[in-house]
Amino acid sequence: MKSKFVYVNLVTVIFILTILFAGCVNSNEPASAGGTSKIYVSGAFALYPLMIEWSEQYKILHPEIGFEISAGGAGKGMTDALSGMVDLGMVSREIYPEEEAKGAVYVAVAKDAVVGTMNANNPYLSEIQEKGLTADTLKGIYIDQTITNWDQLAGSSNGDPINSYTRSDACGAAAMWAKFFGFNQEDLHGIGVYADPGLAEAVKSDTFGIGYNNINYAYDAGTGEPIEGLAIIPLDLNGNGEIDPEEDFYSTRAEIMAAIGDGRYPSPPARELNLVTRGDFKGPTRDFVLWILGDGQNYVEATGYVSLSEDRIQSQIDKMN
Amino acid sequence: MSLIKDRNRREKIIKTLLLVPTIGIGLLVIVIAASLYLRSEQILSLYPLTDLLFSSNWRPLAGEFGFLPFIMGTIWVTCLSMLISIPISILTAIYLSEYAHQRIRKSIQPFVDLLAGIPSVVFGLFAVLLIVPLIRDYLGPFFGAATSGFSILAGGLILSIMIFPILISISFEVLQMVPTETREAALALGATRWEAIKHVVLRMAYPGLIAAIVLGFSRAFGETMAVLMVVGNVPIIPQSLFDPGYPIPALIANNYGEMMSIPVYDSALMFAALLLLFVVVFFVVISKVMLLRFRRGRA
Repeated sequence: MKSKFVYVNLVTVIFILTILFAGCVNSNEPASAGGTSKIYVSGAFALYPLMIEWSEQYKILHPEIGFEISAGGAGKGMTDALSGMVDLGMVSREIYPEEEAKGAVYVAVAKDAVVGTMNANNPYLSEIQEKGLTADTLKGIYIDQTITNWDQLAGSSNGDPINSYTRSDACGAAAMWAKFFGFNQEDLHGIGVYADPGLAEAVKSDTFGIGYNNINYAYDAGTGEPIEGLAIIPLDLNGNGEIDPEEDFYSTRAEIMAAIGDGRYPSPPARELNLVTRGDFKGPTRDFVLWILGDGQNYVEATGYVSLSEDRIQSQIDKMN
Repeated sequence: MSLIKDRNRREKIIKTLLLVPTIGIGLLVIVIAASLYLRSEQILSLYPLTDLLFSSNWRPLAGEFGFLPFIMGTIWVTCLSMLISIPISILTAIYLSEYAHQRIRKSIQPFVDLLAGIPSVVFGLFAVLLIVPLIRDYLGPFFGAATSGFSILAGGLILSIMIFPILISISFEVLQMVPTETREAALALGATRWEAIKHVVLRMAYPGLIAAIVLGFSRAFGETMAVLMVVGNVPIIPQSLFDPGYPIPALIANNYGEMMSIPVYDSALMFAALLLLFVVVFFVVISKVMLLRFRRGRA
């Protein structure tokens, strides 16, 4: 009886040690490889709402498939996919050659854009909305730090500072926003705020703040207008110092969607959203991605994204075969 | 005879069983440090250690890895939070242990315990919604500083709130361990309550209080999420409490995603983790030395 007690203890200790050291072993296989049908997804905030919609629709057709989806920025999606922690990484920027060299395989599944944002109660809002900001001006704010004052934009003389905000986490939105004026995320000057909703919140609560968001976090999904407290900064694309009628498409989400679709809103900051895996799309994950490129496309516009052209979709399907 | 033998054997087995996990835990620290070192070897071989530690240029894409802003950010936020939380926590613990009526003690303690159980990210949200605007609209202008509110001060404040429960409950336990007789002896000699606390209770509890503070410090160094949400994440060396900063845990959490795309970045982040480990070990060692000195001084 008593020696049995000792054995039970011994077994417990061995069990605990096994657990402790199991953590040290680098498990490189995606969790679904073991025959369970759960698909793990992580990454870009930009793609997160659409991925939720897709997974719910897919579960209706295939109740045996489970999903675990988390948002954490494009960089996290890429790192998780390459290290085998997830089956699919959501990446809202282009894939770097270094990442392809490490085995990143990807397909584009939809399009959206990053837009500049400012506080809706900013006293210079109407001037900014009339004139817009050029890529050069944004570079002056975010890179060179030569434009630090709203007076420089609105021609006033009140001395109100521009408080620039940027994302702290590695993400597609920052990468595309910086690329719009020719730089990288690490070059952007400004207070670093974590996550898409965090950045929107920061600009919303700072009258003189300026930031940027994925459109699905800048516009209200219900009303289709910019979320309360936030205004969208129009881009002066031809650089003539004012927002012409053909540059004016920011008042509702539907309008800017149309502008992204026909290319009036430039890319960057518009961009394709990618799904990444390591090596090859396999098993249930492959079926799911093929469904996304097929029937799944029906949910893209309804969820607030821009569909890829049919040619582009076909080329992505070819890429998988 | 055999019964006694059996007893002794069992005793031995149990002793070994208890020893194994103890050694395992001790080894764990070494294993972690060694694996971090192995992974950061790459960056250590590319750049001299002095460059990594004392340069303040952080541009990984351009191959510049200066960790000074992050080291300073960590030290600023941690020290500020300890400056705020140590006096408040110890005063609270003294009140709860020495003055408070049983009823008050019983009704306050659940709140302290509850504070310890709140997830980090909830503290972060609280800080974004309350502390950041408070600093931007009131504290900053009051001290004549133009600040967005995302600052060392915000990070330090939220961190100190998170350390309160651990500091208060450990200090309280330590004070309770001082025998009642010593207090009574002091009071019998004509000391007031406060004199008894100052000259007897605190002197006896000193080593335990230091241990509590070290635990608080260690937690403060590594706390990530709540601080990351309010500290501003700008890689500069802070010059004032109202400047943004960038502590090491936030650096690791934020840039986890770039690990695969920028050469030697993963190695740089491993080095950052190693640095953090070293800073914590450094503080623990200092506190141990202080304790030893105190004991020797008394002996």
